[in-house]
Amino acid sequence: MRNVDRLCLAHFWVAFGAFLFACVIGLWQMWVRSPLGAKVGTPEQYFISVTAHGVSMAYVLTTFFIMGFGYFVAVTALNRKLPGRWWAWGAYWVALLGVVVTLIPIGLGKATVLFTFYPPLMASVWFYIGLVMVVAASWVWCVLMLVAMRTWKQENPARPVPLAMFATVANAVLWLWTTVGVAAELLFQVIPAALGFVQTIDVGLSRTLFSWTLHAIVYFWLLPAYIAFYTMVPRAAGGRLYSDTMGRLTFILFLIYSLPVGMHHLLMDPEHGNATKFVQVLLTAFVAVPTLLTIFTITASLEIAGRLRGGRGVLGWIAALPWERPMVLATGLAFVMLGFGGFGGIVNMGYGMNAMVHNTSWVTAHFHLIFGGSVVIMYFAIAYEIWPRLTGRDYKSLAPLRLQLWLWFVGIMVMTLPWHWLGLQGQWRRVSNFNYADPIIAAWGPWVVVSFGGGVILLVSAFLFTWNLATLHRSTVLAAVRPLFALAVHPPQRVPAALNGFGLWNVLVLVLMVLAYGFPIAQFLIEPSPSAIVHRVR
Amino acid sequence: MMSPHRVSSEPHVLDQPWRLWSTVAVMSILLIGILLGVVVIPVVQGWGAGLDAYTAICRALGILPGSPAQPQPLDKTLATPVSQVVWTPLVLQILARADVAKGRVKVQEVCVACHGEAGVSPSPDFPHLAGQSGAAIYKQLYDYRTGSRTHPLMTDLAKSLDEPTIADVAAYYAGQAQRNLNPVTLANAPPSIVHLVELGDPRRNIPPCASCHRQGSGGPIETPVLAEQRDEYLIQQMKLYASSERRNDVYARMRLIASRLTEEEIIGLARYYRAGFK
Repeated sequence: MRNVDRLCLAHFWVAFGAFLFACVIGLWQMWVRSPLGAKVGTPEQYFISVTAHGVSMAYVLTTFFIMGFGYFVAVTALNRKLPGRWWAWGAYWVALLGVVVTLIPIGLGKATVLFTFYPPLMASVWFYIGLVMVVAASWVWCVLMLVAMRTWKQENPARPVPLAMFATVANAVLWLWTTVGVAAELLFQVIPAALGFVQTIDVGLSRTLFSWTLHAIVYFWLLPAYIAFYTMVPRAAGGRLYSDTMGRLTFILFLIYSLPVGMHHLLMDPEHGNATKFVQVLLTAFVAVPTLLTIFTITASLEIAGRLRGGRGVLGWIAALPWERPMVLATGLAFVMLGFGGFGGIVNMGYGMNAMVHNTSWVTAHFHLIFGGSVVIMYFAIAYEIWPRLTGRDYKSLAPLRLQLWLWFVGIMVMTLPWHWLGLQGQWRRVSNFNYADPIIAAWGPWVVVSFGGGVILLVSAFLFTWNLATLHRSTVLAAVRPLFALAVHPPQRVPAALNGFGLWNVLVLVLMVLAYGFPIAQFLIEPSPSAIVHRVR
Repeated sequence: MMSPHRVSSEPHVLDQPWRLWSTVAVMSILLIGILLGVVVIPVVQGWGAGLDAYTAICRALGILPGSPAQPQPLDKTLATPVSQVVWTPLVLQILARADVAKGRVKVQEVCVACHGEAGVSPSPDFPHLAGQSGAAIYKQLYDYRTGSRTHPLMTDLAKSLDEPTIADVAAYYAGQAQRNLNPVTLANAPPSIVHLVELGDPRRNIPPCASCHRQGSGGPIETPVLAEQRDEYLIQQMKLYASSERRNDVYARMRLIASRLTEEEIIGLARYYRAGFK
């Protein structure tokens, strides 16, 4: 096994270890909130658990998976050695240490602040320091991705960067922009307060800075799924990518429109005027564009594949697709979940409709459906696709892989659709238990039990996933070398610099961010608002 | 050197429209958004609310208070606070920098007879202060000083102390051994009382005691530690709240809760939290 394969596997196993742990405690949380476990656990235990679940899923699973996948793409798509391999290993160990440093105070009950921090709640300073270590390590990854692309471009002047690498670097650039907000919040506000230097914190400012990060981070998690859609799915389906340019535009649009839109998370917050909220909501609407482009392009690519395989008629090509292949199956299931989740997201985005569902289970359901559903199922498919390349071994049968993907899909639907419904009923989120003696809340009980059932299916699927990957390491079937990345119908010979790098787009992002966030942040400095008393959880 | 240069000159021409039109597209969308959000919508909304365009725009930007879509009601009635304590950054710094040694001297001089040198009170009429939250002690002393809370002995004593001394005394008692719920009394507590502590009773609008009175939970900063407190004292105070004789609780939180508790529940809760000093 090559060193870089070990590097990727090391990242992936940390990611999936955290994922499995978070699935187990996630199910426990659903149980204690359901009528079945109403007398189990204390609120403190619940908030320890929900913080550990959020940190593991949102920071550990995603960051480690994306870093590992990025290294993999840099080596395979560019077909050259990874620059700065020892830097990559160093970043890995720093990030892993950061995870440990973060999880210890959570386990001790000294950081029950959830993964989104919620100042003026104040956790042990180690909780934040651990997360800063993870983020700093991920910055090393970003630089390595940029260096890899730049050196490749120097060696291959005027040639288009392979789409997979272009998209990976788009994600690295996006992540550098994204983390500015949370880094400023942690370094200038939260950590000084956690250390006891100050006793108050301007919550309006900290929420604004976090909103800078909060929406774009979701796209950071999402982009690997889109990279798989564009660069792996057409090949797995036996076809070609409909348009390489559409892919480049999609990733560029994600970079531009995932950043100046975070204030739609603050629609109910009083510290911003209607006008700034309006501007950011309008820009939010444009985030739908790259997703719609993707649905179109990937469906077209799949149609090409279906017709090449003998599919006829308006819809006959769908049946002709190789659904037995995990990557194709996962894409179909991800699109269904993306459809439901996207609809829910449009509700969240609208000022008036958001007011109806704000702080209800609707929101929890939405991000579990989109991230836990559409995105994570593509993480599974990516892992299944590249594991044989990393280990040199192949699956004896694809049936357990398909079963796992179906279980995940069914589990997510059964868990999140009732959650959406409960949210419309007014079931609130971020609470540790419900009083089912109350007649209104009692009526929620059956739906909570149904969604708990979805959670059980998800946990079974999570164990099966881990089992599928773990057993591959000992498989006796050797992997055949197959091409991984799809060719476009018209492979690009030369693309404009705008579609081959990020200089222009970085300038535009800067302008957008200054105009969208400049005044909202400056107002806190021009006229400081009353600060909240720091509340130290112990 | 020549050939790459020649090759790149052609993409350069190819690039220009990209650079121009993508910038135009992105900026147009943004400017239309700003025009609509900052000018058009607030001004039109302002017509309905009887606001001039300037006020409506300022409100939309958050420079002036209120919504551009609604007239802002003018409230001229003055609210009377139940407590004069304001948790400003200054007060919090005074508390954070309090001098424990000075506090000990003052305690030995003034407080020791009723509350004990280590904060363990010898009489059921007076609360234990050992391990009590510094902010809680500060708030009560300050309230005695300003008359928000009254007591035949404490009112005059508190008036004789200045603000830094209050903070020193609070810090001294807060620095004593931390108090935890006594496992013996907890094990004997009836399930209905545990339920009240952990989950409250939403049908009577009673929140769980633990939502404020557990260490690290989300209560206001002045929330006192109840663990290992004398049950006689707790019963007495809950009854004073229930009858509104004591009224220095912000937003009348404890007055509302205590007035909804039955006599048995008051006694049960006090026993749940009662002293268990070893």
